Amino acid sequence: MSTGWLIGSAVIAVIVAPLVGGLLRGIDRKLTAHMQGRIGPPIIQPFYDVIKLLGKKPMVAGRAQLVFAYAFLALIVTAVVFFALRQDLLVVLFILFFGSLCLPLGALSVKSPYSQLGGHRELLQFLAYEPILLLAAIPIALKSGGFPIANIFEYGQPLLPDLWLTFVALFIALAIVMRKSPFDISGSEHAHQELVRGVITEYSGPYLALIEIGHWYEMVLLLSILGLFWVVGSLWWLSIIIALGSWFTMLIVDNVNARLTWSWMLKFAWGAGVTLVALNILFINLGWM
Amino acid sequence: MIDSLLGLSVFLPIVTGFICLGIKNHKARGGIVFLTAVVLITSSIFLLRQGSFPIGYSPAPAWDWIILVLNYVILAYFLFMAIKDFAQRGISRHNVLTIALTLAAGIPLAIFEFSQAPHTPLEVVPTLYIDHLSVIMCLIISIIGSLIAVYAIRYMKDHEEHRMHLGELKETTQPRFFFFMLIFLGAMNGLVFANNLIWLAFFWEGTTLACYGLIRHDETPIAITNAFRALWMCLIGSVGFSLAIMFLWNSSLNTISLSAVIESGAPVLLLPIALLCLAGLTKAAQVPFQSWLLGAMVAPTPVSALLHSSTMVNAGVYLVLRIAPAFQGTHLSTLIAIYGGAVFLITAILAISQSEGKKVLAYSTIGNLGLIILCAGINTSLAIAVGIMLLIFHAISKGLLFLCAGAIEHHIWSRNIEDMEGAATKLPVLTGITITAMFSMLVAPFGVLITKWGAMEAATGIGVWSTLVLVLLMLGSGATTVFWAKWIGRFLCHSPMPGRAKREPFIPLYHGILLILIGCAVVFSVLIAAVYNGVIAPGLTEAGYNAASAFTTSTWFLKSSIGIFAAWPIFIIIALALLIPSLAVRAKPEESYASYMCGENVEIGTDEFVAVADERTQLKTGGFYIENMLGEGNLNRFVVPIGIVLLVILFVLVVI
Repeated sequence: MSTGWLIGSAVIAVIVAPLVGGLLRGIDRKLTAHMQGRIGPPIIQPFYDVIKLLGKKPMVAGRAQLVFAYAFLALIVTAVVFFALRQDLLVVLFILFFGSLCLPLGALSVKSPYSQLGGHRELLQFLAYEPILLLAAIPIALKSGGFPIANIFEYGQPLLPDLWLTFVALFIALAIVMRKSPFDISGSEHAHQELVRGVITEYSGPYLALIEIGHWYEMVLLLSILGLFWVVGSLWWLSIIIALGSWFTMLIVDNVNARLTWSWMLKFAWGAGVTLVALNILFINLGWM
Repeated sequence: MIDSLLGLSVFLPIVTGFICLGIKNHKARGGIVFLTAVVLITSSIFLLRQGSFPIGYSPAPAWDWIILVLNYVILAYFLFMAIKDFAQRGISRHNVLTIALTLAAGIPLAIFEFSQAPHTPLEVVPTLYIDHLSVIMCLIISIIGSLIAVYAIRYMKDHEEHRMHLGELKETTQPRFFFFMLIFLGAMNGLVFANNLIWLAFFWEGTTLACYGLIRHDETPIAITNAFRALWMCLIGSVGFSLAIMFLWNSSLNTISLSAVIESGAPVLLLPIALLCLAGLTKAAQVPFQSWLLGAMVAPTPVSALLHSSTMVNAGVYLVLRIAPAFQGTHLSTLIAIYGGAVFLITAILAISQSEGKKVLAYSTIGNLGLIILCAGINTSLAIAVGIMLLIFHAISKGLLFLCAGAIEHHIWSRNIEDMEGAATKLPVLTGITITAMFSMLVAPFGVLITKWGAMEAATGIGVWSTLVLVLLMLGSGATTVFWAKWIGRFLCHSPMPGRAKREPFIPLYHGILLILIGCAVVFSVLIAAVYNGVIAPGLTEAGYNAASAFTTSTWFLKSSIGIFAAWPIFIIIALALLIPSLAVRAKPEESYASYMCGENVEIGTDEFVAVADERTQLKTGGFYIENMLGEGNLNRFVVPIGIVLLVILFVLVVI
């Protein structure tokens, strides 16, 4: 693909990703409401919310908190751009991690009981999902012949048949990143909270809007990584189905599960998630897959 | 030219060290340390510009005699100190092991030198061998080491004033301190140039001596105990050295020239090679020897910065990287990679439970050295390139972090992370530098992260065993993030407050040196391609690796055969993402608010809340340490046996 195309797709990604992300959030809330026997807000409610938040009076605890809110959004957008430019997958992940890390750092920079608790728990979520995401890049690179995302497009075959173990592990990681039950320990949307809003307790107004938009980008980026598993050939549209299917499955899992403890999450993520990818790498190295 | 540069690098600091021993005046001694630092930095840069490496150099034969004698003098000193300790404090594991291991290191060496060797002293041509790898080490020692020594001028003054104030100290002991610091710099420079294994063993012993002397500097009972622990653990490495020298001479190779051993590439020599690796692992405080480095944290902080993070422990990984070509493609190599990965993961997890700042830094040091060992074990051109890069970037960032910890300690008089809560509002400049330094260990686009990226890609697809290495690497990477981020969080944690914090006074020998080092970390990370082309690629070629198959650097990106890191664009984007908001954003006083406490806040601007019976209660927050699960007491029961078992497997496999 030519450089012009790549830059064009990066621009489109930056514009379209928050629209898709916001819409998915709206559908998420609607479906969740229906599953809980409520009517729920309109599908474009997240956009109303963000616009309203942007117009509110800022309330700040200190400069560090603000810097991390901006950096959270800016770094995740950077990760999306690097993804659209089909750069090295590990590099995309590292930039994403730096962005995601800004959230707990912002929370920890305020002396507030709930935000401190949420920030520390967010670090444990990080400990649970970072190894899975990093490891997941390995079998993809082993199959497609390198870490640049461009290689996956040149590889010419869908990855899913050989890498379904990795796919399952990535799904677990996705649920942890998005703080969906049973992994919503650092702050969740359900009304079973002992930590208020956890990691984002102390954010409000326009700064909360920045974080919300950042989450939209983050979700689209992670779903796009799942989409990479079937991105070539005449059935390329399956990648979208796969991404949306995973997202929908996650919603159901979210709604039928209760929240569990962080130590359980860590054991599950390392025990099941990491093991699945490790087996996948092992099988590829042995030539079985 | 080369002989005078070597003389300045090795000999001059030893001479000025002895001069310091006799100077009681603080300013005069500081002047000598400063001048030594200037000369060392200049001579190391001139050495780099010598161009055509490798260069061999053999000083006059009389030096072989001097080295031979001095080696036994040092060993005799160890013996003397252990016996003295035995007489004063009674029998202990530490002094008995010191005596036993000194004898175990000295006797084989004496048997070799005086009965097996055809003539005494045994000469090797060239005695000293200078290539890019040793020059990289020399630059690290001479530049970072000298800056640390200059920082110590101010640090030790504050340190002694504080101790005298507490009544722990009557008269200054700084002459002895700077004596050990400076002779250490000389011994380190000698170590990296030595090609004759007897010379190498001597300089190795010299660094052990300085390490012992500096750890026990404060002469508290705990300092003395920990100094002996460091001594006997490092002496295990010396025993390895002595045995390796014997084995190598009595093998088919019949040489004690390090370069000849590496070039021979004979896999039959695996046992002596493994013994040299053992020496490297003890010096680099790898599991199960990690306890000496943690104990060494009782020493004044410049010692930790110089010996225990940026230079001496690097000698261990330097040796393993140096001899890596000799075990390429063997089982030893595979096991060393797995071992390094295990150390990386274990130390990252142990670091989470530490509440003493310096211990977190110590564990992180051991872990990063483990990562370098892992790279040496993977042993491809890419992996070795990454290992050398990490050696450089880790030395800068970790030396810097120890200096930061020391400067903060001298403002708050505590090493506990919990006491650093809200330091960002009291010491904004120092904490700003510290947090940047922590970021330089942790996130893209800094050098250490680039090497982590490189290590992950280097470990991909090189054998079935690489699966295990990758899992260890990724899990360790996750745990690393946790302990750094929660420490940064403690620095930043403060009650909502308007406006900027007031800057603390600028202390040139603290802030100035920290700024130089953070500048180095940033500039070298942006220009990593230039660093690679300038010193690492030629070093790889000299060691027999293929520099072109490691990285290519078109448009100053780092590009391997399987990945690409657009170093400077990423740096610019991330710098903008962080700098624009931190410079442009202002928190207005009227936007300030009280943190959420369920509406029970006393008033805005305090961190008090209304508790039971309307009592005003102060809010307290704290970090997460998960001691009951991840504490040393809990994990060391497994960690030490794992380390020992891995080493035993390593040696059993080598012998078979």
